[in-house]
Amino acid sequence: MSGSRHRNPTPLFLGMAAVLLGVAGAAVLYGSMPIPLTSLVSIAQESIGVEPSHEVPPGHRYIIVHLRLPRALFAILIGASISVAGAMMQGLFRNPLADPGLLGVSSGAALGAASVIVLGFSLPWVPTLTLPISAFAGGVVATLVVMKLSLRGGTASVANMLLAGIAINAVCGAGTGLLVYVSDDEQLRSLTFWTMGSVGGASWDNLPYVLALAFGPALVALPLGRSINALLLGESEALLLGVNVEQLKKLIILLVCIMVGTSVSLTGMIGFVGLVVPHLCRLLLGADNRRVILGSMLLGSTLLLGADLISRTIVSPAELPIGIVTSIVGGPFFLSLLYRSRQRGIF
Amino acid sequence: MLLVEHIHHTIGTTSILTDVCMGVAPGEVVALCGPNGAGKSTLLNIASGELTPSEGLVSLLDRTLEEWPAVELARNRAKLSQESNLTFSFKVREVVEMGRFPHDTPHAHDDVIETCMERVGITELSDRYYTSLSGGEKQRVHFARVLAQLTDTSGQPKLLLLDEPTSALDLLHQEVALELAHTLCKEHGFAVLVVLHDLNLAAAWADRIVLLKDGHVHHSGTPAEVLTQPILQTIYGIDVLVLSHPNTGRPVVTIDRAR
Amino acid sequence: MHWFTLLAMLSTASAGTIVDSTNATVEANNPQRIVTVAGNVSETVFALGVGGNVVGVDASSLFPAAVHQLPKVGYYRSINAEGILSLSPDLVIATDSAGPPAVIEQIRGAGIPIAVLDSAQSFEGAQRRVTQIAKLLDRTDEGADLTASMATELSAMSKPETAPRVLFIYARGSGTQNVAGTETAANAMIELAGGKNAVSEYTGYKPMNAEAMIQANPDYILFTQRGLESIGGLEAAAKLNGIAQTPAGQNKKIIAIDDLLLLGFGPRTSQGAIELSKALQQ
Repeated sequence: MSGSRHRNPTPLFLGMAAVLLGVAGAAVLYGSMPIPLTSLVSIAQESIGVEPSHEVPPGHRYIIVHLRLPRALFAILIGASISVAGAMMQGLFRNPLADPGLLGVSSGAALGAASVIVLGFSLPWVPTLTLPISAFAGGVVATLVVMKLSLRGGTASVANMLLAGIAINAVCGAGTGLLVYVSDDEQLRSLTFWTMGSVGGASWDNLPYVLALAFGPALVALPLGRSINALLLGESEALLLGVNVEQLKKLIILLVCIMVGTSVSLTGMIGFVGLVVPHLCRLLLGADNRRVILGSMLLGSTLLLGADLISRTIVSPAELPIGIVTSIVGGPFFLSLLYRSRQRGIF
Repeated sequence: MLLVEHIHHTIGTTSILTDVCMGVAPGEVVALCGPNGAGKSTLLNIASGELTPSEGLVSLLDRTLEEWPAVELARNRAKLSQESNLTFSFKVREVVEMGRFPHDTPHAHDDVIETCMERVGITELSDRYYTSLSGGEKQRVHFARVLAQLTDTSGQPKLLLLDEPTSALDLLHQEVALELAHTLCKEHGFAVLVVLHDLNLAAAWADRIVLLKDGHVHHSGTPAEVLTQPILQTIYGIDVLVLSHPNTGRPVVTIDRAR
Repeated sequence: MHWFTLLAMLSTASAGTIVDSTNATVEANNPQRIVTVAGNVSETVFALGVGGNVVGVDASSLFPAAVHQLPKVGYYRSINAEGILSLSPDLVIATDSAGPPAVIEQIRGAGIPIAVLDSAQSFEGAQRRVTQIAKLLDRTDEGADLTASMATELSAMSKPETAPRVLFIYARGSGTQNVAGTETAANAMIELAGGKNAVSEYTGYKPMNAEAMIQANPDYILFTQRGLESIGGLEAAAKLNGIAQTPAGQNKKIIAIDDLLLLGFGPRTSQGAIELSKALQQ
């Protein structure tokens, strides 16, 4: 890896953005329903007030505007969000193998979702949002408990967080297991599918939540790159450099909790993305977190878009849960990353 | 420049430091020495501001550490630790760059980084991965980083704290490290406080030695004043011979063995 | 022309419209491209003679054989809108077990009529579904005939004199064997056939426990065909822990009936009950 590639990342970022746009285009163009490019062009023309060059069959318009477009935006925003969360967790724990699940947010969200699926309760005023709200609440509560357990005199010890996270993951897992035990076949199937993830619930209605709660925190994370670099030297070193370490740790945990809680509650569990994307970014861009965070946003969006495209087309007209696609691709890829980096002696 | 007044520090019921008073002036190298468990590292951590003492005051340039805003403090005092656990694939240059965190003059960064790496003699390591370096090389990278942290145009004297910087280094690099600290001190007016195990290195490079035992300051003075047979017998509980270096005239300490 | 048929012809204005289980009014106009999302729904559409108009079914649709040639839109608990829309349907028929709910809304949003029928696992439920689907497809005659013959077959069924104790095992491979309690499809079928569920202490399915099996003291043990195959057939079933110690095991009274026939609660419900009832008298 030559030094010059690490010197100027701008061409690489532009390249990644171009790839993202390309994959986004493919995501809107392809799907179970064959839609010709002419329809796409005409819809675009209509949206900017120009006379469309071709007649657009109404079914095409609905699919492009109400199904594929929101779904693509979902994938972009959530892909960016969980990848940035992964990068921040790796900074917080100073370990390239950390992922947001360590704080208990995913297992808490799963418990929240399982409660709704198996116990079948419904929230007043917002019955259709019962599942995502419950999952989000589960994720937040689990993280709060981990924080409470690892705080001592205002200091959140990372080692204690790890242990508390393990404990909470076990408790939530047990709770979910209990719900699985009392579930019937249909509920179990629903829960299994939820666990494997899907971006299919995307709509223009819930896109604002994703923008605010999943993508918003990712934007807040962008300027934290330098501080996280310092944190990687060690907490005392960072303190000596003038970083407000306790505040930074709590901010990271808050952002990760909101991002991952939102993502998991809306899409279920999508594995490996938060772990693999920051790694790939480090390989391409170097370990500097200023680049890794931005790169993770671009790469994470692209990957999730691509995974969704595969999940929608590979067993058409059925749909493969996206978590399966990311695991099938992510798993072996991650193993090869580990193998190669062990040979080089670095991560 | 650095003033440590009546520091007491207890952890639980154990008293680590008792009524410690000392100071370091700009242009002065002070070595902190003493047996294991004397409280040297604790004192250094209190001096750097990482640890808040149970009682007592630490002042830098006539302001207590509490009064210093974190980032401004970082521009004026830096500490080189014994070890660093950096497991990510940063390049050497990027590690040195981290020292610039408390400064926000992005255009000056590159020049400062180049200069600091040159000063420490690691320019040829610039593009290497930090994790592939030897212990001594890593130490020098952090030296450059710490230097980059303290480099600015304010003209104010800086405080450099070193915690056993030589324990992992070989004979050559021990000299190089301390010679660099000494030069920074004399040529740039740094105040240097260094924890050293090796009495001879302290004797060679320090203007003053502060001897700690059981959390108390037992003696403080020039190497010649402090490194005497009776004092060292009391402090370390072993008989020593104090010789004189033929070139520098500074004390050289060795064990009084029969054979 | 029979007055009944005349009346039916005169009421074509309302034929093809129902109010489904979500209180939505669903109007179908002689649908030519139907997507069915549930095994019993698919069966019913074919039984009413409209199978030729089905263009897509879900993964749980296994009968009649023709469904195997049709595109599968996924398992009914996790369908996706575009997949269904890509088949250009003019009617989608599902049950209230279909999900996720967002997808139902998306299909409605696309302007495609989608009827969400009550999924009650009972004989009356099966008949209701037949009637509603018949109405949607404008085959009310055929629908009435079908429900009538279902009722006739059922009443003609000879039940065992005393209700034998029957225990249903849901099996999926040698790792999973769950026993049905009350409020399950299996429970309903057992009672319909004149038997009695050997297990009444809990609702839903619970993992098999040898001790509990022996305590339940079943005269018969019931599997679905696929379930029995998945654990290795009759031989393997007889060797399962606990079964050998029950009267059912000792007398070799292990029954296997086709999955959809037994638990589908579709148009063949009465036939399923009859087959089970016969087996309970052997």
